[in-house]
Amino acid sequence: MSEPWIEVRDLWLERGGRPVLQGVNAALTGRAVGLVGANGAGKSTLIGALLGVLRAKSGSIRVLDLEIPGGAMHLRTRAGVMAEQAGIFPGGSGVDAVVFAGMLSGLPRRESLRRAHRALDALDMGEERYRPASGYSTGMKQRTKLAMSLVHDPEILILDEPTVGLDPIGRTQFLRLIRELRDQGRHILLSTHVLQDAETVCDEMLLIEGGVVAFSGPVRGLLGAEETLLVAVGAGLDREFAEGLALLGFGEASASGERLTFRPRPDGDLLPFWRLASERGAEVRHLSRDMPTLEDAVVAVMEGGSRGRMERGSRGR
Amino acid sequence: MGAWSEGLVGGSRRAPSGWHIIRAIARREIGIALRRRHVRLLFLGSLVPPVVFGIILVVRLMAEKAVGVDLGWDPVLRFLQVQVAPVLLLSLGLGTPLVARDRAEDVLYLYAVRPVSPWHYALGKMLAVAGPAFALLLLPGLLIAVLRQGLLPDEVSFADSAILVGRMALAAVFLSLAYAGASVGPSAAVKRARWALLLALALFTVPDSLIELVLGEHAFPIGPAKASESLLSALFEHRDLGGGAVCALVLLLYFVAGSLVTVMRVRTEMRP
Repeated sequence: MSEPWIEVRDLWLERGGRPVLQGVNAALTGRAVGLVGANGAGKSTLIGALLGVLRAKSGSIRVLDLEIPGGAMHLRTRAGVMAEQAGIFPGGSGVDAVVFAGMLSGLPRRESLRRAHRALDALDMGEERYRPASGYSTGMKQRTKLAMSLVHDPEILILDEPTVGLDPIGRTQFLRLIRELRDQGRHILLSTHVLQDAETVCDEMLLIEGGVVAFSGPVRGLLGAEETLLVAVGAGLDREFAEGLALLGFGEASASGERLTFRPRPDGDLLPFWRLASERGAEVRHLSRDMPTLEDAVVAVMEGGSRGRMERGSRGR
Repeated sequence: MGAWSEGLVGGSRRAPSGWHIIRAIARREIGIALRRRHVRLLFLGSLVPPVVFGIILVVRLMAEKAVGVDLGWDPVLRFLQVQVAPVLLLSLGLGTPLVARDRAEDVLYLYAVRPVSPWHYALGKMLAVAGPAFALLLLPGLLIAVLRQGLLPDEVSFADSAILVGRMALAAVFLSLAYAGASVGPSAAVKRARWALLLALALFTVPDSLIELVLGEHAFPIGPAKASESLLSALFEHRDLGGGAVCALVLLLYFVAGSLVTVMRVRTEMRP
Protein backbone atom coordinates (compact mmCIF):
# COMPACT_ATOMS: atom_id res chain seq x y z
CA MET A 1 0.00 0.00 0.00
CA SER A 2 1.38 3.44 -0.95
CA GLU A 3 2.14 6.22 1.54
CA PRO A 4 -0.72 8.63 2.24
CA TRP A 5 -0.23 12.02 0.59
CA ILE A 6 -2.81 13.59 2.88
CA GLU A 7 -2.89 12.51 6.50
CA VAL A 8 -5.29 14.14 8.94
CA ARG A 9 -5.46 13.10 12.58
CA ASP A 10 -8.20 14.05 15.00
CA LEU A 11 -8.76 17.44 13.38
CA TRP A 12 -11.05 19.83 15.22
CA LEU A 13 -11.81 23.21 13.71
CA GLU A 14 -14.29 25.90 14.74
CA ARG A 15 -15.61 28.77 12.68
CA GLY A 16 -17.50 31.59 14.34
CA GLY A 17 -17.63 29.57 17.56
CA ARG A 18 -19.35 26.68 15.78
CA PRO A 19 -17.54 23.35 15.45
CA VAL A 20 -17.26 22.58 11.72
CA LEU A 21 -14.76 19.71 11.72
CA GLN A 22 -15.19 17.38 14.67
CA GLY A 23 -12.35 14.93 14.94
CA VAL A 24 -11.64 14.26 11.26
CA ASN A 25 -9.28 11.33 10.61
CA ALA A 26 -8.15 10.37 7.12
CA ALA A 27 -5.14 8.86 5.38
CA LEU A 28 -5.57 9.33 1.64
CA THR A 29 -3.46 7.28 -0.73
CA GLY A 30 -5.47 7.40 -3.96
CA ARG A 31 -4.11 9.30 -6.94
CA ALA A 32 -7.44 11.13 -7.26
CA VAL A 33 -9.60 11.54 -4.18
CA GLY A 34 -13.22 12.67 -4.30
CA LEU A 35 -14.22 14.93 -1.41
CA VAL A 36 -17.96 14.57 -1.10
CA GLY A 37 -20.56 15.83 1.34
CA ALA A 38 -23.70 17.89 1.64
CA ASN A 39 -23.68 21.71 1.72
CA GLY A 40 -22.15 22.87 4.99
CA ALA A 41 -20.66 19.44 5.72
CA GLY A 42 -17.18 20.97 6.06
CA LYS A 43 -15.57 20.27 2.66
CA SER A 44 -14.35 23.82 2.00
CA THR A 45 -13.26 24.14 5.62
CA LEU A 46 -11.22 20.96 5.29
CA ILE A 47 -9.58 22.30 2.12
CA GLY A 48 -8.83 25.56 3.94
CA ALA A 49 -7.27 23.61 6.81
CA LEU A 50 -5.18 21.45 4.44
CA LEU A 51 -3.77 24.61 2.83
CA GLY A 52 -3.11 26.22 6.21
CA VAL A 53 -5.56 29.04 5.47
CA LEU A 54 -7.74 28.04 8.42
CA ARG A 55 -6.14 27.18 11.75
CA ALA A 56 -7.28 24.02 13.49
CA LYS A 57 -8.21 24.02 17.16
CA SER A 58 -6.43 20.70 17.57
CA GLY A 59 -5.17 17.77 15.55
CA SER A 60 -2.46 17.37 12.94
CA ILE A 61 -2.26 17.64 9.17
CA ARG A 62 0.43 16.41 6.83
CA VAL A 63 0.27 16.93 3.07
CA LEU A 64 3.01 15.36 0.93
CA ASP A 65 6.08 15.73 3.16
CA LEU A 66 4.90 18.97 4.78
CA GLU A 67 3.45 19.50 8.24
CA ILE A 68 0.64 22.07 8.16
CA PRO A 69 0.45 24.94 9.09
CA GLY A 70 4.27 25.15 9.37
CA GLY A 71 4.85 24.18 5.74
CA ALA A 72 1.76 25.92 4.38
CA MET A 73 3.62 28.46 2.23
CA HIS A 74 5.66 25.69 0.58
CA LEU A 75 2.55 23.59 0.10
CA ARG A 76 0.72 26.48 -1.56
CA THR A 77 3.63 26.77 -4.00
CA ARG A 78 3.39 23.07 -4.81
CA ALA A 79 -0.40 23.02 -5.03
CA GLY A 80 -2.77 24.38 -7.63
CA VAL A 81 -6.18 25.35 -6.31
CA MET A 82 -9.26 26.00 -8.38
CA ALA A 83 -11.63 27.61 -5.91
CA GLU A 84 -15.34 27.53 -6.52
CA GLN A 85 -16.37 30.76 -4.82
CA ALA A 86 -13.48 32.95 -5.98
CA GLY A 87 -13.41 34.05 -9.59
CA ILE A 88 -10.54 35.36 -11.69
CA PHE A 89 -8.13 38.13 -10.65
CA PRO A 90 -10.09 41.22 -11.73
CA GLY A 91 -9.14 44.13 -13.92
CA GLY A 92 -7.42 42.40 -16.80
CA SER A 93 -7.67 39.76 -19.51
CA GLY A 94 -7.60 36.00 -19.05
CA VAL A 95 -3.94 35.77 -19.95
CA ASP A 96 -3.12 38.58 -17.47
CA ALA A 97 -4.81 36.59 -14.69
CA VAL A 98 -2.92 33.39 -15.53
CA VAL A 99 0.43 35.21 -15.76
CA PHE A 100 -0.22 36.84 -12.39
CA ALA A 101 -1.16 33.49 -10.83
CA GLY A 102 2.14 32.05 -12.06
CA MET A 103 4.10 34.97 -10.65
CA LEU A 104 2.39 34.63 -7.27
CA SER A 105 3.50 30.99 -7.27
CA GLY A 106 7.11 32.05 -7.73
CA LEU A 107 7.64 32.08 -11.50
CA PRO A 108 9.53 34.95 -13.13
CA ARG A 109 7.27 37.09 -15.33
CA ARG A 110 8.70 35.96 -18.67
CA GLU A 111 8.44 32.28 -17.74
CA SER A 112 4.96 32.78 -16.37
CA LEU A 113 3.87 34.45 -19.62
CA ARG A 114 5.24 31.57 -21.70
CA ARG A 115 3.52 28.99 -19.51
CA ALA A 116 0.25 30.97 -19.40
CA HIS A 117 -0.01 30.84 -23.18
CA ARG A 118 0.83 27.13 -23.17
CA ALA A 119 -1.85 26.41 -20.59
CA LEU A 120 -4.47 28.52 -22.37
CA ASP A 121 -3.56 26.88 -25.70
CA ALA A 122 -4.09 23.46 -24.14
CA LEU A 123 -7.49 24.59 -22.86
CA ASP A 124 -8.54 25.84 -26.29
CA MET A 125 -8.68 29.48 -25.21
CA GLY A 126 -7.99 31.18 -28.53
CA GLU A 127 -8.09 34.93 -28.98
CA GLU A 128 -10.57 35.16 -26.10
CA ARG A 129 -7.61 35.10 -23.76
CA TYR A 130 -6.92 38.75 -24.63
CA ARG A 131 -10.46 39.92 -23.81
CA PRO A 132 -11.33 41.35 -20.37
CA ALA A 133 -12.06 38.36 -18.15
CA SER A 134 -15.09 40.12 -16.67
CA GLY A 135 -16.99 39.37 -19.91
CA TYR A 136 -16.21 35.66 -20.03
CA SER A 137 -18.86 32.94 -20.19
CA THR A 138 -18.95 30.36 -17.38
CA GLY A 139 -17.03 27.86 -19.51
CA MET A 140 -14.27 30.35 -20.31
CA LYS A 141 -14.06 31.38 -16.66
CA GLN A 142 -13.66 27.75 -15.59
CA ARG A 143 -10.94 27.18 -18.19
CA THR A 144 -9.11 30.31 -17.10
CA LYS A 145 -9.39 29.27 -13.45
CA LEU A 146 -7.97 25.85 -14.29
CA ALA A 147 -5.11 27.47 -16.23
CA MET A 148 -4.44 29.70 -13.21
CA SER A 149 -4.17 26.64 -11.00
CA LEU A 150 -1.92 24.72 -13.41
CA VAL A 151 0.47 27.33 -14.78
CA HIS A 152 3.22 26.52 -12.23
CA ASP A 153 3.00 22.75 -12.77
CA PRO A 154 1.70 21.83 -9.29
CA GLU A 155 2.16 18.39 -7.74
CA ILE A 156 -1.28 18.59 -6.14
CA LEU A 157 -4.43 19.86 -7.75
CA ILE A 158 -7.33 20.85 -5.50
CA LEU A 159 -10.46 21.36 -7.55
CA ASP A 160 -13.56 22.74 -5.88
CA GLU A 161 -16.66 22.10 -8.01
CA PRO A 162 -14.75 22.44 -11.30
CA THR A 163 -17.63 21.48 -13.58
CA VAL A 164 -20.29 23.80 -12.14
CA GLY A 165 -22.05 25.72 -14.89
CA LEU A 166 -20.45 23.81 -17.76
CA ASP A 167 -22.48 22.42 -20.65
CA PRO A 168 -22.33 18.63 -21.21
CA ILE A 169 -19.58 18.84 -23.84
CA GLY A 170 -17.52 21.24 -21.73
CA ARG A 171 -17.99 19.00 -18.71
CA THR A 172 -16.89 15.89 -20.58
CA GLN A 173 -13.79 17.71 -21.89
CA PHE A 174 -13.00 18.98 -18.42
CA LEU A 175 -13.26 15.55 -16.83
CA ARG A 176 -11.12 14.05 -19.58
CA LEU A 177 -8.51 16.70 -18.90
CA ILE A 178 -8.57 16.05 -15.15
CA ARG A 179 -8.10 12.33 -15.80
CA GLU A 180 -5.18 13.17 -18.07
CA LEU A 181 -3.64 15.29 -15.31
CA ARG A 182 -4.16 12.44 -12.84
CA ASP A 183 -2.56 9.94 -15.20
CA GLN A 184 0.47 12.22 -15.55
CA GLY A 185 1.11 11.62 -11.86
CA ARG A 186 -0.48 14.59 -10.11
CA HIS A 187 -2.42 14.09 -6.91
CA ILE A 188 -5.96 15.36 -7.27
CA LEU A 189 -8.47 16.30 -4.59
CA LEU A 190 -11.83 16.82 -6.25
CA SER A 191 -14.51 18.42 -4.11
CA THR A 192 -17.84 18.01 -5.83
CA HIS A 193 -21.57 17.62 -5.49
CA VAL A 194 -21.74 15.82 -8.83
CA LEU A 195 -21.07 12.24 -7.81
CA GLN A 196 -20.85 11.16 -11.43
CA ASP A 197 -17.78 13.43 -11.78
CA ALA A 198 -16.17 11.84 -8.74
CA GLU A 199 -16.96 8.36 -10.07
CA THR A 200 -15.38 9.22 -13.44
CA VAL A 201 -12.16 10.66 -12.03
CA CYS A 202 -11.51 9.33 -8.54
CA ASP A 203 -10.18 6.07 -7.18
CA GLU A 204 -10.74 7.02 -3.55
CA MET A 205 -13.51 8.84 -1.71
CA LEU A 206 -13.61 10.94 1.42
CA LEU A 207 -17.18 11.45 2.51
CA ILE A 208 -17.75 14.20 5.07
CA GLU A 209 -21.04 14.44 6.89
CA GLY A 210 -21.70 16.91 9.69
CA GLY A 211 -18.00 17.60 10.23
CA VAL A 212 -16.97 13.96 10.60
CA VAL A 213 -15.70 11.38 8.13
CA ALA A 214 -18.61 9.17 7.12
CA PHE A 215 -16.49 7.11 4.72
CA SER A 216 -12.87 7.08 3.62
CA GLY A 217 -11.45 4.52 1.24
CA PRO A 218 -11.49 3.19 -2.30
CA VAL A 219 -14.55 3.87 -4.45
CA ARG A 220 -15.01 0.09 -4.77
CA GLY A 221 -15.33 -0.12 -1.00
CA LEU A 222 -18.03 2.54 -0.97
CA LEU A 223 -19.98 0.77 -3.70
CA GLY A 224 -19.65 -2.47 -1.77
CA ALA A 225 -21.10 -0.83 1.33
CA GLU A 226 -24.46 -0.71 -0.37
CA GLU A 227 -25.77 -4.28 -0.63
CA THR A 228 -26.67 -5.47 -4.09
CA LEU A 229 -30.36 -5.91 -4.89
CA LEU A 230 -31.73 -8.60 -7.17
CA VAL A 231 -34.46 -7.85 -9.67
CA ALA A 232 -36.64 -10.54 -11.15
CA VAL A 233 -39.14 -9.92 -13.95
CA GLY A 234 -41.88 -12.36 -14.96
CA ALA A 235 -45.42 -13.62 -14.40
CA GLY A 236 -46.56 -14.68 -10.91
CA LEU A 237 -44.02 -12.62 -9.03
CA ASP A 238 -46.65 -11.08 -6.78
CA ARG A 239 -46.94 -10.03 -3.14
CA GLU A 240 -47.50 -13.63 -1.93
CA PHE A 241 -44.33 -14.68 -3.76
CA ALA A 242 -42.45 -11.84 -2.03
CA GLU A 243 -43.78 -12.99 1.38
CA GLY A 244 -42.68 -16.54 0.56
CA LEU A 245 -39.17 -15.25 -0.25
CA ALA A 246 -39.02 -13.39 3.05
CA LEU A 247 -39.82 -16.66 4.87
CA LEU A 248 -36.90 -18.29 3.03
CA GLY A 249 -34.44 -15.71 4.35
CA PHE A 250 -34.36 -13.22 1.46
CA GLY A 251 -34.47 -9.59 2.59
CA GLU A 252 -36.64 -6.61 1.72
CA ALA A 253 -38.63 -8.37 -0.97
CA SER A 254 -41.22 -6.21 -2.69
CA ALA A 255 -43.37 -6.81 -5.77
CA SER A 256 -44.73 -4.32 -8.24
CA GLY A 257 -46.54 -5.58 -11.33
CA GLU A 258 -44.28 -8.15 -12.95
CA ARG A 259 -41.20 -6.84 -11.19
CA LEU A 260 -39.88 -8.26 -7.94
CA THR A 261 -37.01 -6.71 -6.01
CA PHE A 262 -35.28 -8.52 -3.15
CA ARG A 263 -31.99 -8.83 -1.31
CA PRO A 264 -30.04 -12.06 -1.59
CA ARG A 265 -29.67 -14.33 1.46
CA PRO A 266 -26.51 -13.90 3.50
CA ASP A 267 -25.16 -17.17 2.03
CA GLY A 268 -25.84 -15.90 -1.52
CA ASP A 269 -27.71 -19.13 -2.42
CA LEU A 270 -30.39 -18.56 -5.09
CA LEU A 271 -31.65 -22.14 -5.27
CA PRO A 272 -34.52 -21.51 -2.77
CA PHE A 273 -35.73 -18.70 -5.03
CA TRP A 274 -35.90 -21.00 -8.06
CA ARG A 275 -37.59 -23.75 -6.00
CA LEU A 276 -40.26 -21.33 -4.83
CA ALA A 277 -40.82 -20.12 -8.38
CA SER A 278 -41.21 -23.69 -9.52
CA GLU A 279 -43.62 -24.58 -6.67
CA ARG A 280 -45.80 -21.54 -7.36
CA GLY A 281 -45.64 -21.86 -11.14
CA ALA A 282 -44.09 -18.41 -11.55
CA GLU A 283 -42.49 -17.74 -14.89
CA VAL A 284 -39.19 -15.89 -14.36
CA ARG A 285 -38.10 -14.28 -17.63
CA HIS A 286 -35.22 -12.22 -16.29
CA LEU A 287 -33.08 -12.12 -13.13
CA SER A 288 -30.28 -9.61 -12.66
CA ARG A 289 -28.31 -7.70 -10.07
CA ASP A 290 -29.35 -4.10 -9.57
CA MET A 291 -25.88 -2.53 -9.12
CA PRO A 292 -25.92 0.55 -6.90
CA THR A 293 -24.52 3.76 -8.35
CA LEU A 294 -22.08 5.86 -6.40
CA GLU A 295 -24.98 8.19 -5.70
CA ASP A 296 -26.96 5.36 -4.08
CA ALA A 297 -23.95 4.38 -2.02
CA VAL A 298 -23.19 7.93 -0.87
CA VAL A 299 -26.82 8.64 -0.01
CA ALA A 300 -27.00 5.38 1.95
CA VAL A 301 -23.86 6.27 3.93
CA MET A 302 -25.05 9.83 4.53
CA GLU A 303 -28.52 8.72 5.60
CA GLY A 304 -26.94 6.17 7.90
CA GLY A 305 -24.79 8.94 9.37
CA SER A 306 -27.79 11.25 9.85
CA ARG A 307 -29.82 8.48 11.45
CA GLY A 308 -26.94 7.69 13.77
CA ARG A 309 -26.59 11.32 14.82
CA MET A 310 -30.33 11.69 15.36
CA GLU A 311 -30.39 8.55 17.48
CA ARG A 312 -27.39 9.74 19.46
CA GLY A 313 -29.11 13.13 19.83
CA SER A 314 -32.37 11.63 21.07
CA ARG A 315 -30.50 9.34 23.47
CA GLY A 316 -28.66 12.41 24.75
CA ARG A 317 -31.96 14.17 25.40
CA MET B 1 -8.39 20.40 -25.44
CA GLY B 2 -4.75 19.77 -26.13
CA ALA B 3 -1.96 17.89 -24.40
CA TRP B 4 -0.91 19.28 -21.09
CA SER B 5 2.61 18.43 -20.32
CA GLU B 6 4.16 20.25 -23.30
CA GLY B 7 5.98 23.30 -22.00
CA LEU B 8 4.45 23.16 -18.54
CA VAL B 9 6.68 20.72 -16.72
CA GLY B 10 8.97 21.87 -13.90
CA GLY B 11 7.47 24.86 -12.15
CA SER B 12 8.37 26.46 -8.84
CA ARG B 13 8.78 24.15 -5.84
CA ARG B 14 9.96 26.48 -3.08
CA ALA B 15 7.91 29.36 -1.74
CA PRO B 16 8.95 32.59 -3.46
CA SER B 17 10.48 35.45 -1.47
CA GLY B 18 8.23 38.10 0.03
CA TRP B 19 9.77 40.73 -2.23
CA HIS B 20 8.95 38.65 -5.34
CA ILE B 21 5.28 38.51 -4.29
CA ILE B 22 5.07 42.20 -3.31
CA ARG B 23 6.66 43.26 -6.60
CA ALA B 24 4.36 40.97 -8.61
CA ILE B 25 1.26 42.47 -6.99
CA ALA B 26 2.47 46.06 -7.47
CA ARG B 27 3.52 45.43 -11.05
CA ARG B 28 0.16 43.98 -12.00
CA GLU B 29 -1.78 46.85 -10.42
CA ILE B 30 0.36 49.50 -12.10
CA GLY B 31 0.01 47.71 -15.45
CA ILE B 32 -3.77 47.59 -15.12
CA ALA B 33 -3.99 51.22 -13.97
CA LEU B 34 -1.92 52.45 -16.90
CA ARG B 35 -4.49 51.00 -19.27
CA ARG B 36 -7.08 53.49 -17.97
CA ARG B 37 -7.21 56.71 -19.93
CA HIS B 38 -7.66 59.04 -16.94
CA VAL B 39 -4.66 57.49 -15.19
CA ARG B 40 -2.54 57.96 -18.33
CA LEU B 41 -3.73 61.57 -18.55
CA LEU B 42 -2.86 62.18 -14.91
CA PHE B 43 0.52 60.58 -15.47
CA LEU B 44 1.20 62.81 -18.46
CA GLY B 45 -0.22 65.81 -16.57
CA SER B 46 2.25 65.27 -13.77
CA LEU B 47 5.08 65.70 -16.27
CA VAL B 48 3.91 69.23 -17.09
CA PRO B 49 5.13 71.03 -13.91
CA PRO B 50 8.81 70.05 -14.36
CA VAL B 51 8.72 71.21 -17.97
CA VAL B 52 7.08 74.51 -16.94
CA PHE B 53 9.57 75.02 -14.13
CA GLY B 54 12.44 74.14 -16.43
CA ILE B 55 11.28 76.86 -18.84
CA ILE B 56 10.93 79.30 -15.90
CA LEU B 57 14.48 78.49 -14.89
CA VAL B 58 15.77 79.23 -18.40
CA VAL B 59 13.75 82.47 -18.62
CA ARG B 60 15.03 83.54 -15.21
CA LEU B 61 18.60 82.93 -16.29
CA MET B 62 18.09 84.89 -19.50
CA ALA B 63 16.42 87.74 -17.62
CA GLU B 64 19.21 87.87 -15.05
CA LYS B 65 21.81 88.01 -17.80
CA ALA B 66 19.86 90.71 -19.65
CA VAL B 67 19.34 93.05 -16.66
CA GLY B 68 22.44 92.02 -14.70
CA VAL B 69 20.46 91.52 -11.49
CA ASP B 70 20.16 88.34 -9.39
CA LEU B 71 16.41 87.68 -9.04
CA GLY B 72 17.10 85.26 -6.18
CA TRP B 73 14.18 82.97 -6.77
CA ASP B 74 14.62 79.21 -6.59
CA PRO B 75 11.84 77.27 -8.33
CA VAL B 76 12.43 73.91 -6.59
CA LEU B 77 10.13 74.42 -3.60
CA ARG B 78 7.38 75.92 -5.77
CA PHE B 79 7.79 73.01 -8.19
CA LEU B 80 7.38 70.38 -5.48
CA GLN B 81 4.37 72.21 -4.00
CA VAL B 82 2.71 72.21 -7.43
CA GLN B 83 3.79 68.66 -8.26
CA VAL B 84 2.13 67.33 -5.11
CA ALA B 85 -1.35 67.98 -6.59
CA PRO B 86 -1.20 65.63 -9.60
CA VAL B 87 0.67 63.04 -7.54
CA LEU B 88 -2.04 63.19 -4.88
CA LEU B 89 -4.76 62.78 -7.53
CA LEU B 90 -2.88 59.89 -9.09
CA SER B 91 -2.49 58.21 -5.69
CA LEU B 92 -6.21 58.54 -4.99
CA GLY B 93 -7.07 57.25 -8.46
CA LEU B 94 -4.69 54.31 -8.16
CA GLY B 95 -5.13 53.42 -4.52
CA THR B 96 -8.79 53.74 -3.63
CA PRO B 97 -10.09 50.94 -5.90
CA LEU B 98 -7.31 48.44 -5.12
CA VAL B 99 -8.61 46.48 -2.12
CA ALA B 100 -12.28 47.49 -2.46
CA ARG B 101 -12.37 45.91 -5.93
CA ASP B 102 -10.80 42.64 -4.72
CA ARG B 103 -13.26 42.48 -1.83
CA ALA B 104 -16.27 43.31 -4.02
CA GLU B 105 -15.24 40.62 -6.53
CA ASP B 106 -14.52 38.15 -3.74
CA VAL B 107 -11.04 37.22 -4.95
CA LEU B 108 -9.05 37.49 -1.73
CA TYR B 109 -9.20 33.70 -1.41
CA LEU B 110 -7.26 33.49 -4.68
CA TYR B 111 -4.35 35.09 -2.86
CA ALA B 112 -4.83 32.91 0.23
CA VAL B 113 -4.42 29.65 -1.70
CA ARG B 114 -1.10 30.89 -3.07
CA PRO B 115 2.03 31.66 -1.05
CA VAL B 116 0.77 35.17 -0.26
CA SER B 117 0.39 36.43 3.32
CA PRO B 118 -1.83 39.38 4.28
CA TRP B 119 1.34 41.48 4.72
CA HIS B 120 2.57 40.60 1.23
CA TYR B 121 -0.82 41.58 -0.10
CA ALA B 122 -0.99 44.89 1.78
CA LEU B 123 2.59 45.92 0.94
CA GLY B 124 2.12 44.94 -2.71
CA LYS B 125 -0.90 47.23 -2.96
CA MET B 126 0.97 49.99 -1.13
CA LEU B 127 3.91 49.70 -3.51
CA ALA B 128 1.51 49.94 -6.46
CA VAL B 129 0.66 53.47 -5.27
CA ALA B 130 3.86 54.57 -3.57
CA GLY B 131 6.11 53.47 -6.47
CA PRO B 132 4.57 55.70 -9.16
CA ALA B 133 4.05 58.54 -6.66
CA PHE B 134 7.71 58.37 -5.67
CA ALA B 135 8.83 58.30 -9.31
CA LEU B 136 6.61 61.24 -10.23
CA LEU B 137 7.99 63.31 -7.39
CA LEU B 138 11.63 62.43 -7.78
CA LEU B 139 12.24 62.00 -11.51
CA PRO B 140 10.93 65.44 -12.60
CA GLY B 141 12.75 66.86 -9.58
CA LEU B 142 15.93 65.26 -10.85
CA LEU B 143 15.29 66.91 -14.20
CA ILE B 144 15.14 70.31 -12.51
CA ALA B 145 18.31 69.58 -10.56
CA VAL B 146 20.11 68.65 -13.80
CA LEU B 147 18.78 71.81 -15.50
CA ARG B 148 19.97 73.97 -12.59
CA GLN B 149 23.36 72.34 -12.70
CA GLY B 150 23.56 72.74 -16.47
CA LEU B 151 22.21 76.28 -16.70
CA LEU B 152 23.76 77.79 -13.59
CA PRO B 153 27.17 76.10 -13.35
CA ASP B 154 28.71 79.14 -11.66
CA GLU B 155 26.05 79.37 -8.96
CA VAL B 156 25.27 75.69 -8.33
CA SER B 157 28.01 73.28 -7.32
CA PHE B 158 27.77 69.53 -7.77
CA ALA B 159 27.55 69.08 -4.01
CA ASP B 160 24.59 71.49 -3.90
CA SER B 161 22.83 69.45 -6.56
CA ALA B 162 23.53 66.20 -4.74
CA ILE B 163 22.12 67.63 -1.50
CA LEU B 164 19.07 68.93 -3.35
CA VAL B 165 18.44 65.52 -4.92
CA GLY B 166 18.89 63.86 -1.51
CA ARG B 167 16.31 66.20 0.02
CA MET B 168 13.89 65.62 -2.83
CA ALA B 169 14.30 61.86 -2.49
CA LEU B 170 13.64 62.11 1.25
CA ALA B 171 10.50 64.18 0.67
CA ALA B 172 9.37 61.83 -2.11
CA VAL B 173 9.73 58.75 0.14
CA PHE B 174 7.59 60.13 2.96
CA LEU B 175 4.99 61.75 0.70
CA SER B 176 4.53 58.67 -1.46
CA LEU B 177 4.26 56.33 1.56
CA ALA B 178 1.69 58.59 3.22
CA TYR B 179 -0.36 58.93 0.04
CA ALA B 180 -0.30 55.15 -0.39
CA GLY B 181 -1.45 54.59 3.19
CA ALA B 182 -4.15 57.24 2.99
CA SER B 183 -5.61 55.84 -0.24
CA VAL B 184 -5.17 52.04 0.16
CA GLY B 185 -6.25 52.03 3.83
CA PRO B 186 -9.70 53.50 3.03
CA SER B 187 -9.97 51.04 0.15
CA ALA B 188 -9.63 48.20 2.67
CA ALA B 189 -12.02 49.82 5.12
CA VAL B 190 -15.03 49.91 2.77
CA LYS B 191 -16.28 47.66 0.00
CA ARG B 192 -16.90 50.23 -2.74
CA ALA B 193 -14.23 52.29 -4.47
CA ARG B 194 -16.36 55.46 -4.45
CA TRP B 195 -16.76 55.27 -0.66
CA ALA B 196 -13.04 54.65 -0.38
CA LEU B 197 -12.41 57.78 -2.44
CA LEU B 198 -14.68 59.85 -0.18
CA LEU B 199 -13.02 58.44 2.91
CA ALA B 200 -9.55 59.18 1.52
CA LEU B 201 -10.56 62.73 0.60
CA ALA B 202 -11.87 63.16 4.15
CA LEU B 203 -8.50 61.99 5.49
CA PHE B 204 -6.73 64.60 3.40
CA THR B 205 -9.01 67.45 4.49
CA VAL B 206 -10.83 66.82 7.78
CA PRO B 207 -8.00 66.28 10.35
CA ASP B 208 -6.17 69.53 9.48
CA SER B 209 -9.39 71.53 9.24
CA LEU B 210 -10.47 70.27 12.64
CA ILE B 211 -7.20 71.01 14.38
CA GLU B 212 -7.05 74.45 12.75
CA LEU B 213 -10.55 75.10 13.99
CA VAL B 214 -9.51 74.21 17.52
CA LEU B 215 -5.93 75.52 17.72
CA GLY B 216 -5.85 78.21 15.05
CA GLU B 217 -3.90 78.70 11.80
CA HIS B 218 -0.51 77.68 13.20
CA ALA B 219 -1.72 74.36 14.54
CA PHE B 220 0.54 71.37 14.14
CA PRO B 221 -0.18 69.38 10.92
CA ILE B 222 -1.94 66.09 11.60
CA GLY B 223 -3.33 65.36 8.13
CA PRO B 224 -1.25 64.05 5.22
CA ALA B 225 -1.83 67.14 3.05
CA LYS B 226 -0.66 69.69 5.61
CA ALA B 227 2.12 67.42 6.86
CA SER B 228 3.53 67.05 3.35
CA GLU B 229 3.31 70.82 2.79
CA SER B 230 5.12 71.44 6.09
CA LEU B 231 7.75 68.80 5.31
CA LEU B 232 8.54 70.48 1.99
CA SER B 233 8.82 73.87 3.72
CA ALA B 234 11.05 72.38 6.39
CA LEU B 235 13.34 70.77 3.82
CA PHE B 236 13.56 73.49 1.20
CA GLU B 237 12.62 76.80 2.85
CA HIS B 238 13.19 76.99 6.60
CA ARG B 239 15.71 74.16 6.85
CA ASP B 240 13.97 73.15 10.08
CA LEU B 241 15.13 69.58 10.54
CA GLY B 242 13.26 68.99 13.84
CA GLY B 243 9.94 70.15 12.39
CA GLY B 244 10.64 68.17 9.24
CA ALA B 245 11.28 64.99 11.23
CA VAL B 246 7.98 65.34 13.07
CA CYS B 247 6.11 65.90 9.79
CA ALA B 248 7.87 62.84 8.33
CA LEU B 249 6.71 60.84 11.34
CA VAL B 250 3.10 61.97 10.83
CA LEU B 251 3.32 60.93 7.18
CA LEU B 252 4.85 57.59 8.14
CA LEU B 253 1.99 56.99 10.57
CA TYR B 254 -0.51 57.24 7.71
CA PHE B 255 1.43 54.56 5.85
CA VAL B 256 1.59 52.29 8.91
CA ALA B 257 -2.09 52.83 9.72
CA GLY B 258 -3.13 52.16 6.11
CA SER B 259 -1.05 48.97 6.05
CA LEU B 260 -2.47 47.74 9.35
CA VAL B 261 -6.08 48.40 8.29
CA THR B 262 -5.44 46.48 5.05
CA VAL B 263 -3.76 43.56 6.80
CA MET B 264 -6.48 43.26 9.43
CA ARG B 265 -9.23 43.43 6.83
CA VAL B 266 -7.80 40.88 4.42
CA ARG B 267 -6.74 38.53 7.23
CA THR B 268 -10.43 37.99 8.03
CA GLU B 269 -11.44 37.66 4.38
CA MET B 270 -8.60 35.58 2.93
CA ARG B 271 -10.43 32.33 3.66
CA PRO B 272 -13.09 30.08 2.16
